[in-house]
This record gives sequence, structure tokens and C-alpha cells, in this order.
Amino acid sequence: MRRVWQRGRFGEGLAGFSFMAPTMIVMGVFTVLPIAYAIFLSFHKVRILGEFDLRFIGGRNFWRMLADERVWIALQNTFEYVVIVVPTQTILALGLALILNSSIRGKHWFRIIFFLPTVTASAVLTLIFMWIYNSNGLLNNILAGFGLPTYNWIGDPSVALKSIMIMNIWSTAPLYMIVYLAALQDIPKSLYEAAKIDGASALDQFFNITLPFLKPVTFFIVVIGIIGTFQLFDQSYIFSAGSGGPNNSTLTVVLLIYQYAFKSLDMGYAAALALMLAAVIMLVTVIQRTIFKEEKLH
Amino acid sequence: MQKFGWVKLLLYLILIGYAIATFIPFAWALSASFKTLPEISSGNINFIPKDFTLENYKNIFTQEPLFGRWLFNSVFVAVCVTALNLLFNSMAGYALARIRFPGNQLFFFVILAVLMIPGQITLIPSYLILKNLGWLNSYQGLIVPTAVNATFIFMMRQFFVNFPKELEEAAAMDGLNRWETFVQIVLPLAKPALAAQAIFIFMGAWNNFLTPLLILSDKEMFTLPLGLNTFKGEYISYWNYIMAASMVLTLPALAIYAFFNRYFIQSVTFTGGK
Amino acid sequence: MICTRVKWLIFLLVIITLTSCTFARGNNSKITVTLSGWQSSPNESQLLRRVLQDFEAEHPDIKVKYEVINQQYMDVIKTRLIGDTAPYVFYLDAFEAPLLMQNNVLEPLNTYINDEFDLSDFIPTLLNAFKSNNKIFGLPKDFSTLALFYNQQAFEAAKLTQPPATWTELQQYSQKLTRDWNGDRRIDQYGLGIIPELSRQSFLIKTFGGTLINQNGYATFATPEGLKGLQLIVDLYRKYRTAAQPSDVGASTGSEMFGQGKAAMVIEGSWAIPYLKETFPKLKFATAELPTIAGKKGTMAYTVAYVMNKRTKYKDAAWKLIAFLTSKKGMKAWANQGLVLPSRQSVIAELGYDQNPLYAPFVAGADYATIWQAGETLPTVLTHFNNQFISALIGEQSLNEAMERAQVSANKEIAASQ
Repeated sequence: MRRVWQRGRFGEGLAGFSFMAPTMIVMGVFTVLPIAYAIFLSFHKVRILGEFDLRFIGGRNFWRMLADERVWIALQNTFEYVVIVVPTQTILALGLALILNSSIRGKHWFRIIFFLPTVTASAVLTLIFMWIYNSNGLLNNILAGFGLPTYNWIGDPSVALKSIMIMNIWSTAPLYMIVYLAALQDIPKSLYEAAKIDGASALDQFFNITLPFLKPVTFFIVVIGIIGTFQLFDQSYIFSAGSGGPNNSTLTVVLLIYQYAFKSLDMGYAAALALMLAAVIMLVTVIQRTIFKEEKLH
Repeated sequence: MQKFGWVKLLLYLILIGYAIATFIPFAWALSASFKTLPEISSGNINFIPKDFTLENYKNIFTQEPLFGRWLFNSVFVAVCVTALNLLFNSMAGYALARIRFPGNQLFFFVILAVLMIPGQITLIPSYLILKNLGWLNSYQGLIVPTAVNATFIFMMRQFFVNFPKELEEAAAMDGLNRWETFVQIVLPLAKPALAAQAIFIFMGAWNNFLTPLLILSDKEMFTLPLGLNTFKGEYISYWNYIMAASMVLTLPALAIYAFFNRYFIQSVTFTGGK
Repeated sequence: MICTRVKWLIFLLVIITLTSCTFARGNNSKITVTLSGWQSSPNESQLLRRVLQDFEAEHPDIKVKYEVINQQYMDVIKTRLIGDTAPYVFYLDAFEAPLLMQNNVLEPLNTYINDEFDLSDFIPTLLNAFKSNNKIFGLPKDFSTLALFYNQQAFEAAKLTQPPATWTELQQYSQKLTRDWNGDRRIDQYGLGIIPELSRQSFLIKTFGGTLINQNGYATFATPEGLKGLQLIVDLYRKYRTAAQPSDVGASTGSEMFGQGKAAMVIEGSWAIPYLKETFPKLKFATAELPTIAGKKGTMAYTVAYVMNKRTKYKDAAWKLIAFLTSKKGMKAWANQGLVLPSRQSVIAELGYDQNPLYAPFVAGADYATIWQAGETLPTVLTHFNNQFISALIGEQSLNEAMERAQVSANKEIAASQ
């Protein structure tokens, strides 16, 4: 039956390219071209304001990174962040989606309410979190009420990054929940029916039908989660007023890139940092992929 | 049976607990939008406004004569971007998942790689490209660069990978070509994924702030997030207006979400094969 | 069915996109001058718009297109300067001025300035912030210094009548003013609200003879002299525990924590006066010059200027606009909202700011203030300072250690970027 599609390689190739054409044009101009320019800049010492000035310096921007202590601190912070946030938000999103896909009462309302954090404006969210997190704020009041220890959630470097983690998980899990919800709709019901006839338990069905079916989507969620967390910027910028403090505890790589690109206008070094970050993300994705083997194409 | 009841109760407790955690901040913002500026700034945590006022909403609609125009711009841009993305991302995702063409794997790799480069570094080059195209202060400057989205091409690919091949094979036997198969068979079955995509893309376009901030300098071309930013000042911000404005911004996004939510109800499931 | 619908949709989108390309633009013989700034308060831009109307009435051949860029102002301006799309005239903070002056993107104004303009009327230290190699690149539109705000109700409750005149007094006062009203062993009112940022503290480095940055642009603040002043703030926070940061008490700014009664005193700029009056109508407060340290007066000053883009098409028209806005008349027309002080001495006197008890301390501060500016490397130094100073403040490391670390890493970065 496969044969029907083989109207010749040429036809398939043409179809493939025509389906890709809009993407190739738009991304080529507005994404790939700027990235190519950034790669070009990363090998130069650039003066971009006033008279444009470019000096080829080879790999010096990259060597400079090795000696830059803050890059390592930022990477370390980001790693810690990725390792905690990505699994947590993925599992949380899957759990919520599974519950809300079952025949539970009031699931429509829960779906709407769970989604609220993602539609609330980020400026408002930050304000609310400042109010929840401050020393005399809601969170500490609740903790104190239960006789638990209280923290200086924003000011104390040992917990500052964790505060950001909580906020991030809370506001992005609903997004991934939706992806899972959509994916769950595509599982053929016949599979479950067949399994039931074979006497498989609910747990068996989950591990043998649901999870394998969700694998491609989980791969998507994990990769996008890794990218998103490695590129953490907004929250750390807001929490530390752009400095990455206290004592580099909220410093992230993208915050560094932003500081170099816009504050000191050192575009060459900023571009080199961006490429380094991309390489790290790629490496982690590949490692992740070999651990949780993805499906093979076709 | 009794054991089952306990599980259910626990489940509801978790759901309600989580719902409270997601609802409280929103509720606080909602109640703040009905408060006066002194009451918001007082630092008191009361959910019911002491002096309930609709002034904030009245003011944001009437104070700025361009409000209608901004609303139009926002809706127009968000709708165009969403429509274009739904089509283009699905096409690309489908090609990557299903069509065997030279460079398939390479394209997939490029799309992933593009995602890994942080946007902060491409901001200035992109700006220069838009300037050279003469697209600053224009709708196409806001729409075209965001007409495709690597993240959702990736997402659509992962959805299409799971699709039963039998349906396409049947379509091919019926003499449909790739495009016809895609539009008539594949897209209707991808409704949940398309709905998810529509929600994300619409929200992204609706709330987009940084790109409009950079490329728009004509007030007439402003989108709502940019326009509503005028209630902020370096030293004095009208938080009462900002809260009301953020509610006005939130509602359409929430409505879109509620609308597309119906595609997540298990009913459109195909049976897969004969 | 669906197929044709999709086709129609695409067709429609293409048409709309194409037609929007040819969107009609106003076209007449008038010269258009573009002007960009941020706004201190939402009212400010409305007020400025009125002043611009006066300008247009006076110069019928010039039209002003005014744009408020409310967030990431300098990022936007820098990007537009790079793209050669920047406004002709724009606001520039003294802090950011060295970078733009150095990179040769601003038009020197010397040749435009005539005697009638009366340059000597400007407060000299403010004007100096926009001078480089004897060229004037900007004319200060306004400024503010820092002064001490104190809550009169809290002072009364603590039986204090006068604001503290010396730092020792400030220490004693803040102890008296630090209160736990409800007895839950958590402090409800701190003596002093502090903002642990270099922009607020750099005058303290100078107090005992330290310097922030040397002539080559390297950080030099981590010396015993430089740290002695900063230690005063750390002591209040750590040793006496009578000071708090806004984020400690859930406020976003110093003036907000003061207004909410969570700090009885706070060191803020004149912009806090209209803010407090408007947002906390019941609050009773007064202002005073900052307490002297070791018998010396000191404070910070912040100033913003109008500058002209070097690539301006209509330089004469742009100058007319700057001259109008910074003339005695133009400055008076919108400097009376009380957020910041006019940069011309004659306008200060005419509007009575030096006689107004709330504003007089800010005017007095102009004589001895440290301008918030220190060359092109200040943004780098600032980032490293802020990063580490908080760490010392919360007791993670000693001030000495933290500042040494900040200085070393800042200088490493400065050296690497040369």
C-alpha cells in the first residue's frame, strides 16, 4: 500500500518543499539571517553605535568566556534551574491534564481557573508575587501559621532562585497542560476498549497505551521546557533589578547576554555567549534524547 | 467502592487546592481593578474593595481617544498572526513528520537550533532588516516576521508523528494529492492540536510587547499593551488603571481559551484503521 | 469546502497586508521634528503636549511628533540610533550620557546657543554632566537631589520633634522609630527605608575620601575610605536592624514603603512629593536635608537633558524645539508639577521652590550633591556593585569582601572589553 505514495521521489520532494515554503521564506529572512549575522559578529570586535566599526578577532570572544567567572556562575544557576523546573512542570502538567481529561465533575471550571496564571499580565504577576513573597507577606504568614520556618524569599540568595522557580512552574505548567490535553484527544479509544477486553487494569492502560502515545508530545514539552528554562530572563531581571544579585544568585546566561548587548553594547561578546548557550542547550537536548529515546521518523 | 471514594475525595482536594493557588492572584488583580489608587497602594490585603469604583474602567476607555484604534490594531494583528501560523506551522509540521523529502532531517534540526538561540541577540539585526524593508510602523512589520513559529512547527510535527498512516494511505488510494489529503483529511483530525496552537499563538500575539515597542513609533499604530503602558510613569504609576487595563487585556485571551477548550473534550477521536 | 475557505482566507490576508503597505501618510509642507522621552508620571506627557502646542503656535512651519517610550527607554533609543531611525530630539539621563557622547551620535550644541539663551542661568554641575571636550551635548531639562522624608505622625508618636541633623542622630532616631505594633515579634515600622543600589549610595563612597571610578574607567571604590560611608548603611540594616529594603516589606519603591507607614523615614527624590500627596492623601510628612556625616553635607543629584541626534535632518528646527523647551518660559510652563526641579536658577526662584518648605531641602542639596554619572564604564560598575552590595547587606559576606569581589569582577570585565 505504501507504494501508492511513491509517485516518484520527485513528487514527494516537491510536496515537501512546497509545504515548507512559507516557513523557509519567513524564517529565512527574519530568523536565520539575524542569527547568521550574530554568528558573524561573534568573531569580531564590534562598534555598533555611531560609526560602524568591525574588527576580526578570531575566537577571542570565545576564549574570553572561559576566563569569565560570571559565565560559569550563570551556567551553574541555569543548570540547577533546568534540572528542577523541567521535570516538575512536565509531571505537573501531565498530572493535571490526566485529571482534567477524566470524567471528573466541574472539569471545565478547573480548566479555566488553572489557566488564569498564563493570561494574567506579567507586570501584575510580579507585583502579586512581591506581595506574596515579602518577609511579612502571604506565604510567610501561612508558614508561620503552621509553625514552619519563614524565609526572606526575594532578598536571600539561597532561596531567591527557588522563589523564581516556584513562580515559573506555577505560570507555565498550564501551557503544557493544554498540549497534553490536546494530545490525549488523539489517542484512539479503540485501543482502550481492546485493552479492557483483554482485562488490563487502569494502571496497565496508562503505562502501555497512554504514556507511549504521549511520547512525541512529551519530547516536545521537555525540549521546549529545556530551551525556555535555559533562556530564563524576565523573572531574574525583575527580581534583581537587572544585576543578577544578590551575589550572582539570580544571574542567568541570557541576563548576561542582555547586559552585554544593550548595556555595554558589546555585541560581539554577547553573540558569542548566545552561541555558547545554544550549544549547551543542544548538548543537553541530545543527552536527554538518548536517555528517553524518541520515536524514529516513519 | 469505599476506597474509590477516598481517592476521588483526595483528587478533588488537590484540584481545589491548586485552583485556589491559581485563582487568588487573579482575584486580587480583579478586585484591585475596582479600587482607588490610595487603596491599592495602602498595602492592605483586602479582596473586597472598600470604595468600589468603576472609574478605572471608565477612564481607560475614555481618557485616550485612540483606544478604539489600538483595540482594532491588536485584534487585527492577533487574528492575522493566528490564522497564518495555524496554516503555515501545520503545513511545515506535517511535511517534517510525514513527507520524505531531501533535507527533511536538516530542516527539523535547523528549526530546533533556531529555538536555542536567545532572542535578545537577534533583536537588533531583525530591527535592521525590518527597517531596510521599510516595514517599521506597519502592520506587515508586526505580522509577517511572526507568521511562522518554530516552537509550534515542532509541536505540530510531534502531533502528526502519531497520526495513523492508514488514513493517508486510504486517501492516496482515493486519488487525493498531498495538499488535498492535508486539508481534507489531516487538518480536520488535528483539531485539538490546532486549538492548542490557536490559544498559544493568539495569546503570544495579543500580549506581544517588545517587538511593537521597538518598531512602532506612530501612536496610531500602537497595539493595546503598548497603548495601555501610558498609565505607567517612572515615579508615579496609576496602578488602578493598570489593573483595569490588564483585566481588559486578559478577557479576550481568556475568551479565546474558553472557546477552543471545547476541542479538548474526548469526542472527536477517530477510530484509527478499519 | 474547507479547501476553498482556506484559500479565501489566504487571499483576504494577502490583500489586507498589501493594502496596509500603502497606508496614507499625512503629507504637507511643514517640517516634522520628532521628540521622544519617557514620562515621570502619566500627567507629565499631557502637560508636555500642551507646551508643544504652544511651540507649534509660535513656529507655524514646524510640527512636533512626540512619542513616549515608557519601558526599556535606553534599549529602544540605542536600537533606533543603530538603525538610524532615532528621534531628532530626545531625553537623555546623565548616567547614560558618556556612552552616547563618546560614540559621537549627538550633535554639539555650542554653535546654536546665543547670549539671549542665557546659558549661565543653568546650575553649573548639571550642565557639566553633558559636556565633553568643551562641547555641550545636552541642555538639562530638570533635576532632583535626595533628601530625607519623615513621617510626622510617627515622629510625634516617638516624641521626636526635629528631623535628624547628623548621621548619629539618624541612627538613634531610627532605633526609636522601629516598632512592632501588634507584638508578633515581626517589625511593622522600620526606622529607615533604604534602597541598596549604587545610584543611591555613591555619594557615601565620597564622604570619607573614596572614589567610585578612576580616570581610566576602572572601579576604585573598595578602599577603606570608600567603604566607611557604605558601612553606615550596612550597620543600620545588620547591626541595629532598624532599616529595611522595599522588597522586605512588600513594597516596590522606597516612597511606597514610606507611604504605607512601613518606614518612618526614607531617603528619596523630590518626585516622591507629588506621589505621596496623590497616593497617600492622609499621610503627614515633611522633608529635610540629608543628615551630615562627619560634619559634611552630601547627597545625590539626578539630571536629564534634551539632546539632539547627530543625524537630524532639520537641525535648526530641532534646535528651536530644544531652545523653546529649555528657555525660561518653556521650562516654567511645565516645571510646576513638582516632580523634579527646573535646572535654571531663575526658574527655581520664580516658581518659589527655594521658599517652599517641602522643596527647599532639594534645592539646597544642589550645591553639594554628587551627580549620578561616572563615565562610560559606570553601567558595568553599577551592575557588579548592586549584585554584591545586597549580599553584604543581608550578611552573606562582609562589606569588605563583597566590595572587593565586585570591584575585581567589574574591572576584569572592563579590561576584557577594551
